[in-house]
Amino acid sequence: MQTKLKKPEVLAPAGTLEKLKTAIHYGADAVYIGGNAYGLRSRAGNFTYDEMREGVAFANAHGAKVYVAANMVTHEEDAKGAGDFFQTLRDIGIHAVIVSDPALIEICATEAPGLPIHLSTQASATNYETLNFWKQEGLERVVLAREVGMNEINEIRQNTDVEIEVFIHGAMCISYSGRCVLSNHMSMRDANRGGCSQSCRWKYDLFEMDEPMGKTSLLAGDPEEAFSMSAVDMSMIRHIPDLVEAGVDSLKIEGRMKSIHYVSTVSNVYRQAIDAYCNDPENYQFNPEWEDELWKVAQRELATGFYYGTPEEEQQLFGKRRKIPVYTFAGQVLAYDADTQIATIQQRNSFGVGDEIEFYGPQFKHVYQHVKEMWDEAGNPINVAPHPMMVLKVKVDHPVAPLDMIRKRK
Amino acid sequence: MIEIIATAESVEQGEKLLQAGADTIYIGEDKFGLRLPASFTGDEIKTLTQIAHHEGKQVGVAVNALMHNERIKQVLPYLRTLEEIGVDWISVGDPGVIHLLQTNKIELPFVYDAQTMVTSANQVNFWAKRGAVGAVLARELTYEELKTISEQATVPVEVQVYGSTCIHQSKRPLVSNYMHFVEQANDTAKEKGLFISEAKDEDTHYSIYEDMNGTHIFATDDINLILHLQKLKDVGIRKWKLDGLFVQGDTFVDIVRLFVNERDAIMNNTWSVEALEERAKQLHALHPKGRGLGTGFFLKDPADIK
Repeated sequence: MQTKLKKPEVLAPAGTLEKLKTAIHYGADAVYIGGNAYGLRSRAGNFTYDEMREGVAFANAHGAKVYVAANMVTHEEDAKGAGDFFQTLRDIGIHAVIVSDPALIEICATEAPGLPIHLSTQASATNYETLNFWKQEGLERVVLAREVGMNEINEIRQNTDVEIEVFIHGAMCISYSGRCVLSNHMSMRDANRGGCSQSCRWKYDLFEMDEPMGKTSLLAGDPEEAFSMSAVDMSMIRHIPDLVEAGVDSLKIEGRMKSIHYVSTVSNVYRQAIDAYCNDPENYQFNPEWEDELWKVAQRELATGFYYGTPEEEQQLFGKRRKIPVYTFAGQVLAYDADTQIATIQQRNSFGVGDEIEFYGPQFKHVYQHVKEMWDEAGNPINVAPHPMMVLKVKVDHPVAPLDMIRKRK
Repeated sequence: MIEIIATAESVEQGEKLLQAGADTIYIGEDKFGLRLPASFTGDEIKTLTQIAHHEGKQVGVAVNALMHNERIKQVLPYLRTLEEIGVDWISVGDPGVIHLLQTNKIELPFVYDAQTMVTSANQVNFWAKRGAVGAVLARELTYEELKTISEQATVPVEVQVYGSTCIHQSKRPLVSNYMHFVEQANDTAKEKGLFISEAKDEDTHYSIYEDMNGTHIFATDDINLILHLQKLKDVGIRKWKLDGLFVQGDTFVDIVRLFVNERDAIMNNTWSVEALEERAKQLHALHPKGRGLGTGFFLKDPADIK
């Protein structure tokens, strides 16, 4: 008789307050956000202190946590004011900060004691002695490098008791994180200070030097394939039991720049899979619908990175891409009237009478609807909803709920 | 005193480098150290250490790889061997190695060398408090930044004055993966002289190779600070490294000699513009054909880097 397994945390990205609330509503146990400084996503939505306060209050009311990524590798001037920053985060009630720079770790530990520190994946922690080093430094958690395999995670778990967090879904650096400055050298943008220009996804020629000064192109293929380092994205949805059994404490989803459509979908799927396994591991079965659902918000093909071996060519973006079904985010339910079966919707992308739309909500609820009747806010019948963010009403055959999302296949 | 640190590809070259005036030879085994001209056995490290010590000089050993579990298990016996040999210091880039040094009371001085990740005095001082006797600064720092770091660091910092700059380390076999995709066979080792160019800029030349630590990519231009050594000295940077990863044999020895002579001229007040220009000219002649030379980030304005 197996006792109930310890559930790892589902940790979702939240670029804005709306995404934070969405992620938690859709099952995330924790979210990570950016502040106005010290982060690595200068172009991602970042939170003001007031927004953080509101986010923490919302999270606390739902039993969830909020972490702040401050994972910049600082140069001389960059760490200025970091002490005040960490103190403010602590006083706001932020549950932890994610840091890679030892200078920031020291500032945080000395000037904002009581604020837990997580080591960012940017520091490329790849063995248990490294985790033990950081534990001794007082860190609560280490986010492992994405190069660590499942067998290695098991061994790390057996040799350290600091919390372990791993990436399970989303885009990945092709390098050891932090050990890549292609962007600095190719476009004067510092990859480790939020400026990454994603040079790894560019196209390159590949040459061999010939003595004394010549060069021979090694590009091959029909049609000729450019050299690239671009990687496919990660998804561990088929391997939730391995992650739970390995005793990983937190499962992280990448993508602070991504939409609420993405955040809600991915959080929802992993919540389902983890609950399904932990509640009844013996009768657990992988549900292919989970993977289908993830494909609806995928940008690239999905693979398992380093978890089960060194990634080969099929985990890089060469050749013809697999066709990914494209879904657009159509809107969000604001209200539902059970008597009239009418849903009030805020539109995000155009749809209209005659379209097939898909409602989805927490607990992996799905409702498919052929749109037959639609009205604008004033109650006038309409055929299409052309204006972004316009509020409209749609008759639905099955109950939906506020905060349910709507998508449409392109 | 300004210390000239040079990599070596063999015991023989190491001896020649010492004769040419290098103060410290930097070597290692590729299982534990990154991007070395050659992988040294324990016996070779011992031999070269004895030779260096006999001449009152030093040997530093690279233990700066990112270690996975398999590697970190092997590193403790290796550290004990290095301690027994009596190497003068090691470089470390993985805090797990520092943890092992501390918990096993191994008396090996270490300099912190996490490549791209060492970019401020506060970072250097963090590692100094954990026992580091020095730190190797990232290549992506400007002169203005080097100056501040040197002033504020509590331990000496090392700057590369000559050689290639690694700008990317992946654990993936990036070249092999490409070759498999296009169904070609190709050797991907350093000796092959492979490089990539931006499709939009054919003047770019990024050397690329694979070894047991993954795939490594290098900047178009190798670093050459021979014209700026006085500035380094003036801001108190006293550890100058020359990296011979892409320069073989006596050519590298001759290059090191040029820097030694320039260092001596600065220290002995026998410095002259003419002699410096002559050395710079000789350096360009010695530098491998097909490889660029430049000052990297040294002369850039920190404000221009976004």
